Amino acid sequence: MLSWRLLTRNWRSGELKLLASALMLAVAVVSGIGIFTERLEAALVKESNSFLGADRLVRSTQPIGSQLIEMANNAGIEQAQTIQFASMTFAGDDMHLASVKAVSDSYPLLGKLEVGKQAFVTDGADVKIVDHGPIAGEAWVDGRLLPLLGLNIGDILAVGEKDLIVSQVIVREPDRGDGFSLFGARVMINIADVAATEVIQPGSRISYNWLLAAEPSQLTSFLTELEPQLNEHQKLVDLESAQRGLFRTLTTGRQFLSLAATIAVLLAGLAIAIAAQQFSRRHTDQVALMKSLGAGAWRIRLLYFQQLLILAALASIVGLVAGELLQRLISYVVVSVYPVQMPGASIWPYLLGAVTGIVCLLCFALPALWHLPTIPPMKILRRDLVLTTASKLWQGLLGVVAVFVLVGLYSQDLRLTATVIVGFFCILAVAGVLALGLLSIGRQLGSRSGSSARLAWASLLRHRGQTVAQVLVFSTALMLLFVITIVRTSLIDEWRFKLPEDAPNHFLVNIAPNEVEYVSGLLAQQELKSESLFPMVRGRLLTINGELPTAEQKNKFGVLSRESNLSWSSDLPPDNEVVDGDWWPKMTMEEDQIYVSVEQSIIDGLQLKLGDSLGFSLGGLKLDAKISSVRTLNWDAMRPNFYFLFSPGALDEYAPTYLTSTYIPADKKSMLNTLLQHSPTILVVELDLIIKQIQTLTAQVSQGVELVLLLVLAAGIMVLLAAVNASMDYRLQEAGILRALGCSKRRILGSTFLEFFILGALAGVLAVFGAEVLLLGLQYWVLDTPLQAHPVIWGVGPVLGGLLVAMLGVWASRRVVTAPPMLVLREL
Amino acid sequence: MLQVNHIYKAVTTAEGPLQVLSNISFSLSKGSSLAIVGASGSGKSTLLGILAGLDTATAGDVQLDGESLMNLDEEGRAALRAKMVGFVFQSFQLLPGLSALENVMLPLELHGRDNAKEAAEKFLKRVGLDHRLRHYPKQLSGGEQQRVAIARAFASEPSILFADEPTGNLDATTGAKIIDLLFELNQEQGTTLVLVTHESRLANRCQQRLELEGGEVVVSAEAEKVDLAAETE
Repeated sequence: MLSWRLLTRNWRSGELKLLASALMLAVAVVSGIGIFTERLEAALVKESNSFLGADRLVRSTQPIGSQLIEMANNAGIEQAQTIQFASMTFAGDDMHLASVKAVSDSYPLLGKLEVGKQAFVTDGADVKIVDHGPIAGEAWVDGRLLPLLGLNIGDILAVGEKDLIVSQVIVREPDRGDGFSLFGARVMINIADVAATEVIQPGSRISYNWLLAAEPSQLTSFLTELEPQLNEHQKLVDLESAQRGLFRTLTTGRQFLSLAATIAVLLAGLAIAIAAQQFSRRHTDQVALMKSLGAGAWRIRLLYFQQLLILAALASIVGLVAGELLQRLISYVVVSVYPVQMPGASIWPYLLGAVTGIVCLLCFALPALWHLPTIPPMKILRRDLVLTTASKLWQGLLGVVAVFVLVGLYSQDLRLTATVIVGFFCILAVAGVLALGLLSIGRQLGSRSGSSARLAWASLLRHRGQTVAQVLVFSTALMLLFVITIVRTSLIDEWRFKLPEDAPNHFLVNIAPNEVEYVSGLLAQQELKSESLFPMVRGRLLTINGELPTAEQKNKFGVLSRESNLSWSSDLPPDNEVVDGDWWPKMTMEEDQIYVSVEQSIIDGLQLKLGDSLGFSLGGLKLDAKISSVRTLNWDAMRPNFYFLFSPGALDEYAPTYLTSTYIPADKKSMLNTLLQHSPTILVVELDLIIKQIQTLTAQVSQGVELVLLLVLAAGIMVLLAAVNASMDYRLQEAGILRALGCSKRRILGSTFLEFFILGALAGVLAVFGAEVLLLGLQYWVLDTPLQAHPVIWGVGPVLGGLLVAMLGVWASRRVVTAPPMLVLREL
Repeated sequence: MLQVNHIYKAVTTAEGPLQVLSNISFSLSKGSSLAIVGASGSGKSTLLGILAGLDTATAGDVQLDGESLMNLDEEGRAALRAKMVGFVFQSFQLLPGLSALENVMLPLELHGRDNAKEAAEKFLKRVGLDHRLRHYPKQLSGGEQQRVAIARAFASEPSILFADEPTGNLDATTGAKIIDLLFELNQEQGTTLVLVTHESRLANRCQQRLELEGGEVVVSAEAEKVDLAAETE
């Protein structure tokens, strides 16, 4: 086949290499990111769903009806059940109000349990990983229960009326993440033993959880069927409602990967378009020759079209293989750092990768080649003939369409697509005008500088059109690289900020006033950093402006139907922000009036306003307080948070206990034994494992993000290289002539370096401007983060752009100074 | 073989229309040779382009082997070129990415010839380059490149060969060798030869001579045994 032969000859001559590389890179990057993102996302969703112990769960105050269970059975849904309640537990003469969780044999559906034979071990050989709960007749208990009740493994623990053998200490329970309760230590038993405990009586506060897991599509269709059948006592819980902080990490992580894929597509498209333009320019003579040899326009078009198709197919195959290898490598790195089971990807990202290759070629490369057959054969005789190329408008429009299709396909997020593309083209237009302006300023400066600089400016201005085009390409690539780097940095910073290494990982609750000194002393002795001690009183909101809440309000708002933790503080706790009203020091307080600062969602939900009066019941005693401020809280931070914070000293007479949070590293955990032996009534809430889980997850997403960033950077360098290469013909020729005229290597290299440095620096200035605009758009419309500028790139951007482009430029033109000038000139 | 009747060519320039060729008529019989001479800008190359069907005239008619080029569209003219026209250019027009052999094979492949490789090898041998088959244009001297171009032109066995300043880029000795080769092959193959040149030595070897000035024929000379009918108004 002639087109195949022509293709192989074009390949050998090196003319297709840039185009093919750009195409392969596009397919590889896009499919690599696509496959990896899909796998990572699936892994993370699975992993994070293990925080629920299932894909979804139904939480209910009543047992789940057999009809629903039957329905799930028929739909092939995996199920498990847990029942949670508070119960007194006994060991000899000691007793403890424990938080009992009875689990069915299939529990947990997702995630694993970690158990051991000692209290307070976190990892190492002492920890055993299992995928089931205790069998009937056994109890697994929190480490802190052992010192509390003086228990050892193998001892008998009575839960209600049922005696159970303590067989394991629970180190980690996957679905423990939904906050902490003030109930006592966890005792996990088999659901079959619940009846024998005789604890569950009419009126008991019981939480029934129905755990569900299935393939996503199967689960979605089942949930659609299930939801209408749930009654008012049953609530469907997913990760978003269970773990807000975690969900946000996942969402922003996913958005970053989409953005990265979007930017990779744009960059790859740009590289293909540049390579195709160059290919087209170099083929003008070949086409004119072929026409003089009698080949018709359609024959030539067909020949080129066939060559492109073969090239697209081959590049797509190689790109897909490279993409697959790439994502395997990234997955391998991620998994080796943070073990996670990554499921395989669907066919979708592979298909998308292949489609990318074809679409890129058709939309970015074909318009550049389409006009070739219209080259008049007379061109072969008349070199000076001006060619009418395909309308730039049409080429541009096709490019825009392609970008829209690909970016939309990739991000599957209309808002992201629109923001990036509209921003991108607006910036391009402004940048074009600015580039011309900067060039003319530069000319005046250049005329006053040294010989290399003068030579460089002269060359840039002689090829003004091409210079502007190149500045635009460079600035686009640099802009996209700045954007992706900054988004990545701020995301990772945000995640790290949310959960720093030394985030408090233990809550010490129910500290009696006379134990405060001991606890503070012990923490200080162990050199543990702790938050201040908050006084705490349990109390229930009874009246609003003197009126009792309605039944509907009670049903809707937990704070009206159960006791809350009430506290007071003279200082505004960290992560709290007053959004309305004033914090104590700033307000004038009437004597004998108690004030309360209320969390915003309570204010909004109950339609409260500043000055409203709230009536509380604290252990039977009444207390009225006036709302003086509204606060927002950060639920992601592992710190004590209070819906109601009273004015200082307001709760002094209500027998408060104290609460604090502290960071206890794994090697100091054994101090808890000392603490609990001295003060057995203190409740220790261990969040270290949950925090570790969240940190691991965040680290996995971060690791993925870092590696994807590297891929995008590679695409960016590719664009820069393509643009540098595209201008090489005339640069080599000019440099060859200068060499022949006796210009020194140093001067040529100096002027080449300067020329590209000027180009890169100009592009850097424009890129910084564009990146800031694009980032503002992304912050406002997509990422939903506070708007902020990034002064660090203002200085670094132009210098970095200049150096990067200059190095690539010198590298690409090194042949001019290494080969004899005669050879250089002859080859052109 | 070639019948030219009242050819006019005007082009539009920034300063208005410009008459490049005016009323050119002549005929050329099969196997004979014609030199078009004249100063730079006299319209030689434009005329050659029109004769070969690479360009169209504003008025007048060119008949190649009895077929009027003016009645054909670009596709039709391309088909005619494929069938009977060969070219040799001043700047050789070898494709830099192709070897000498591949350059000669290209027209044969475009015409769908099965034995393109063998034919190309034969012609490269004929021009004395059988030891340079795999060399690329940049590895060949100017004279060698033009010999490849001549092999390429004759390989498709055209009835008529157009040569545009075939020795324009060569030194005198090499140029002389190229001229010899061109005429040898012309004789061997019985090809009609039309060449543009400003070199009198080359022009003198042609049987006919057409001298242009300002787009008009100022001298038409008929050598012995040659039937030339050039008219000027």
